[in-house]
Amino acid sequence: MCVAADRAAAGPSLGPGEQPPAEAWADTRVLCLGNDILSDDALGVIVAERLRECPPRACEVTYTFAGGFGLLDHLVNARRLIVVDTMVTGQVDPGTVSLLREEDFRCAPGDSPHYVGLFEALEAGRGLELGTPEEVVIVAVEAADCLTIGGPMHPSVEAAVPAVVDLVRKLAGSPSLLPEAR
Amino acid sequence: MSKPVQEAWEQGQKKANEGYMQQRRITIDPITRLEGHGKIDIFLNEQGDVDRAYFQVPELRGFERFAQGRPAEDMPQITSRICGVCPTAHHMAGTKALDDLYKVDPPPAAKKIRELMYSLFMTEDHTLHFYFLGGPDFVVGPDAPAAERNVLGVIGKVGVDIGKKVISMRREIREVMTLIGGKVIHPVLGLPGGVSRRIKPAEQERIQRVADESVEFAKFTLQIFEDVVLKNTDYVNLIVSDAFTHYTYYMGLTDDDNRVNFYDGLIRVVSPEGGETARFPAQEYLDYVAEHVEPWSYVKFCYLKPIGWKGFTDGMDSGIYAVAPLARLNAADGMATPLAQEAHDKLFETLGGKPVHHTLANHWARVVELLYAAERLRELAYDPELVDPNVRTLPTETPKEGVGVVEAPRGTLFHHYQTDDRGVIEKANLIVATQNNSARIAMSVEKAAKGMVSGGDVSEGVLNTVEMAFRAYDPCHACATHSLPGSMPLMACVRDPQGRILSTLQRDRDGRVRRS
Repeated sequence: MCVAADRAAAGPSLGPGEQPPAEAWADTRVLCLGNDILSDDALGVIVAERLRECPPRACEVTYTFAGGFGLLDHLVNARRLIVVDTMVTGQVDPGTVSLLREEDFRCAPGDSPHYVGLFEALEAGRGLELGTPEEVVIVAVEAADCLTIGGPMHPSVEAAVPAVVDLVRKLAGSPSLLPEAR
Repeated sequence: MSKPVQEAWEQGQKKANEGYMQQRRITIDPITRLEGHGKIDIFLNEQGDVDRAYFQVPELRGFERFAQGRPAEDMPQITSRICGVCPTAHHMAGTKALDDLYKVDPPPAAKKIRELMYSLFMTEDHTLHFYFLGGPDFVVGPDAPAAERNVLGVIGKVGVDIGKKVISMRREIREVMTLIGGKVIHPVLGLPGGVSRRIKPAEQERIQRVADESVEFAKFTLQIFEDVVLKNTDYVNLIVSDAFTHYTYYMGLTDDDNRVNFYDGLIRVVSPEGGETARFPAQEYLDYVAEHVEPWSYVKFCYLKPIGWKGFTDGMDSGIYAVAPLARLNAADGMATPLAQEAHDKLFETLGGKPVHHTLANHWARVVELLYAAERLRELAYDPELVDPNVRTLPTETPKEGVGVVEAPRGTLFHHYQTDDRGVIEKANLIVATQNNSARIAMSVEKAAKGMVSGGDVSEGVLNTVEMAFRAYDPCHACATHSLPGSMPLMACVRDPQGRILSTLQRDRDGRVRRS
């Protein structure tokens, strides 16, 4: 249950498209990526809404559907970053939740704004010494379809929301995001 | 928690624990994303040479059905969520379609505020593209090690200070866009007949400061382009090489004097020989633009209806056309601002006059357009009418049908809505820039592949060459979806004449190419 003290201690929660001001600092930021009109891609938006009902202590919860370098605004000025997103690997069932690090992803460098993703934006932030997080983890949920506008969420993806929210809360309350350090 | 969720959760936890606690790496292989995502299929003939090459990408589906039954006024907000990179372009095209739907003409100040917003957007987008995205080809260099041909490589080349300046400019521009549009990502500026908010005199000074800085930065950027690219003979030779050349038609918005305009005007088409082929208002686009479908791709290939579809071939008889920066410059007689006009003239003098058919010249044209966007931004910022409080003409007509067109950074963007008498959408059609370019992109990919494959010998450089061929168009494919890894993987799949896979090439995050 959320208590008033938790709310008071929580960082500001920002809506879609809202950017943290340049000077804003968050110890831990939960960045939910998603697009609520694109089938399973809505997961990030829903998780953010659930978290905002009672934000984890000292934690900023934000979400965005911005792509490309628009992501940079959400990656700077935080010590720790927990990213919530869908992924499509085709190797596991929809709704499968994975906790991953940046290094776990292997992908070609993006060479267009449309191909700049989370990892390219993080690399750019580091290269430009913009104050990127020391720790980054990704809570990824296997999606079935992220390309149908207005399409319904896959039941298993939707059903994974409580588990993702719970995992994010646990991560946010841990002294380190990396399990081996716990 | 239900059993399937519990199992999924346990599976995810198990995988995470294995990855972290035992230092084993879970590799998310991008090629296992949706079938066709960034996949190049190269079909060889019996001699081992390229017969055909297809560039397959996914595309967002279901927009028309999603739009049906929704109030037309919602479209600028809904469509801005289609693309996480170009929301402003969709917002503005949707807003202009509403003007046309309700047959309402916005007051001059409203038009200027919209164009100001749009000029800010184009300035930001073109800047980012030049420094961080076109950079791998010309700032880092086409022959640089693959691992350096990325954002970090560009930063290393231009220096962190310039990189930071780009980011700083971008932030200032986005803050002004937030001031004007409410939000950058989901602007709430456009309404049928005007805008939602006037600009106050006290705000104009800040806009002017950002506009002044933008012009100076655009001039600086042009200088960098000239120093790094134009003074390098190898780069210029690459731009004009046959591998990156197609003789197609070109399309772009132009003002009354046939000069480039991003926000408004008539759509002009010029032929591969440079003559004006068509000049028409947005409402007549279906008389000129048609779509061809291929069985191997979801993408619809646009072509000029009066010329006709003659397959993936160029020349006067083929209706394939191009949009985007170079096409806009080709389709216009010039630029509407002095510094951009000067830069425009130098481009065409250097490359042999209009039209220029070299795809890689898009990078140069983009810098010319950056200068125009910044200069136009400054003109509008200092316009006394910008702060006029009259920013809305209330619609009174019964809606039926409306078309709105703008020039998105990547080319001409069409929004077309049909509604009932209440303004509820019955049918919607969007043609985005990449659809306009899709046929020419397909030709570029095939030509690049043919240059890299001979006698069955498939060079690993095929990925870089093919990528250069389509990157200049900056294609947009299903960009509003966020699924990780987020960037577009690129894989080439070489097949024999029977379609059997001979080998695959895939480039990883470190730039290395894997062959399997």
